[in-house]
Amino acid sequence: MNRKLTNAVFKIFVWAAMAASFGILLFLISVLFWKGFGAISFDFLFTPSSNFGAEGGIVYQIVGSILLIVFATLIAFPLSLGFAIYKSEYVKSSYVQNITDTLIYGLNGIPSIIFGIFGLIFFVNLLNTGISWFVGSIILAIMILPTIILSTYQAINSIPDSFRENALALGLTKWQLITTTLLPRGLSGAFTGLLIGLSRAIGETAPIMFIATAFSGVTIPVGFFEPVSALPTHILALAQQATNPQALQNAWGTSLVLLLLVLIFSIAALWRRVKFSKIEY
Amino acid sequence: MELKELKEPIADIKNNTETIINVSGFNVTFGETRVLKDIAVSFYERQVNCIIGPSGSGKSTLLRSINRINEGTDQIDINGMISFKNTDIYGKDRDLTLLRKEIGMVFQRPCVFPRSILENVVFGIQHHQKLSKAEKLEIAETQLKAVSLWTEVSSRLHEPAHSLSIGQQQRLCIARALAVKPSVLLMDEPTSSLDPVSSRVIEELMSELKKEYTIVLVTHNIAQAQRISDHLIFMCEGKVIESGDKEKLFCNPDKIQTKTYLKDEYCDCNQ
Ligand SMILES: Nc1ncnc2c1ncn2[C@@H]1O[C@H](COP(=O)(O)OP(=O)(O)OP(=O)(O)O)[C@@H](O)[C@H]1O
Ligand SMILES: [Mg+2]
Repeated sequence: MNRKLTNAVFKIFVWAAMAASFGILLFLISVLFWKGFGAISFDFLFTPSSNFGAEGGIVYQIVGSILLIVFATLIAFPLSLGFAIYKSEYVKSSYVQNITDTLIYGLNGIPSIIFGIFGLIFFVNLLNTGISWFVGSIILAIMILPTIILSTYQAINSIPDSFRENALALGLTKWQLITTTLLPRGLSGAFTGLLIGLSRAIGETAPIMFIATAFSGVTIPVGFFEPVSALPTHILALAQQATNPQALQNAWGTSLVLLLLVLIFSIAALWRRVKFSKIEY
Repeated sequence: MELKELKEPIADIKNNTETIINVSGFNVTFGETRVLKDIAVSFYERQVNCIIGPSGSGKSTLLRSINRINEGTDQIDINGMISFKNTDIYGKDRDLTLLRKEIGMVFQRPCVFPRSILENVVFGIQHHQKLSKAEKLEIAETQLKAVSLWTEVSSRLHEPAHSLSIGQQQRLCIARALAVKPSVLLMDEPTSSLDPVSSRVIEELMSELKKEYTIVLVTHNIAQAQRISDHLIFMCEGKVIESGDKEKLFCNPDKIQTKTYLKDEYCDCNQ
């Protein structure tokens, strides 16, 4: 084969791969819109569900999902930031670096159902918390930790050493160096990681279905150790009654709402990436 | 004998100035390699003290030992004595922040922080004392004038420092170091990433600055050393081969290696 032909074949292959993945994505989204759009109304978004979700809306599910990820953020964000700064600025030994890397990637590779089972055994049974949205937040926080840590760490670690040396040579303490010079860049990485993590966390069913959510009879929780309902588990419940056309319709509607929430996070992450890639170091 | 030197600073007979930094029996090892070997040398107050020598001879390592910026490096082992104004730099309860406030540093490549020009000038000093907006402006004006950058940037103090040329950025870095009010300025090849015109500007600046500051300059450039240095230190393979007055080293060096290096920029220290 001559070089021109190889080139052309390669080009076509790359183009086809891109078109295929884009096509699948577009197909999924348009089916969701087509099926789900009819279900969505003001009432659907702002009234509670009844009859196991077949009737009524999904206001408690929306509130529950948002509650879950807000607290997951409050837990995961500061932890990841601290971990990433420590890993980048304080861990000198390459042995310890390797251990933390293995830990982070290992955590990232654990299937989400395992997190659910862990939460069930450790929190619900061992610590006797009962079904609790707060436990769900903790588990989701653990799940998104690696994503936030890695993106924060990469942001901080990519700052050239000359900035550290220049700041220290001016008499700044290590803490001042971190807060003035490293954190601004680290925060931006952390936000990007957070948004990516959240767009995954909000759609997860397996980690929360045993420990944090109930399918019916749930309102807005007033304490930490109460169940909520959430969008992904609600979809699961509705899908199980698929013979009822009203329930199926609501399943499509709920899916579309979930997708829109994920899209918001993804677009925000993308926007941040584009905007902050312009800061030069 | 070394202790005695500390108590009675050696007077340089010709220029009649005193030493401000004294290094003695100083060794630095990276892992297995000994980079500085039993260094003993003095730097003179309000002079341009110039360290020259071939690449890899340990000039930067010596300079970076003076403000202890070396310390973060992996597997570094330091022993020996450096004194500053007759106090041990490596003393047990030496406050690094205060040390680096007294001994400023300018690096080979200018490194401005992603902030405005004004914020860059006060970047160091604002961590040592609380500053009002007016004080910041005043400091910026004084220091930018001191590095003759004021006329060029006075109208754009709030623009990002990255918008300056490399030569201007280097002068900004010097202003930033001066704002902290050090008494010594360590400069590691501050002109080697600059064009000839900007280099000359900085050279003139150094000759001006030495009226108030002690300058320790590392340079590759023998012509530059000849132009602006007062005191010359020639290093090779981790040792100080010879140090003394510039005229003495250029015209009548004690060591044949010094003569060869200054003439041909060639060094074979083991001969
Ligand atoms: N962080 C480090 N780890 C290991 N070795 C180092 C480190 N820094 C410097 N060295 C070694 O120490 C020796 C002296 O380096 P140094 O940078 O002080 O030389 P220099 O005289 O400044 O050279 P140049 O003129 O090229 O800047 C070199 O052999 C270098 O490889
Ligand atoms: Mg060097």
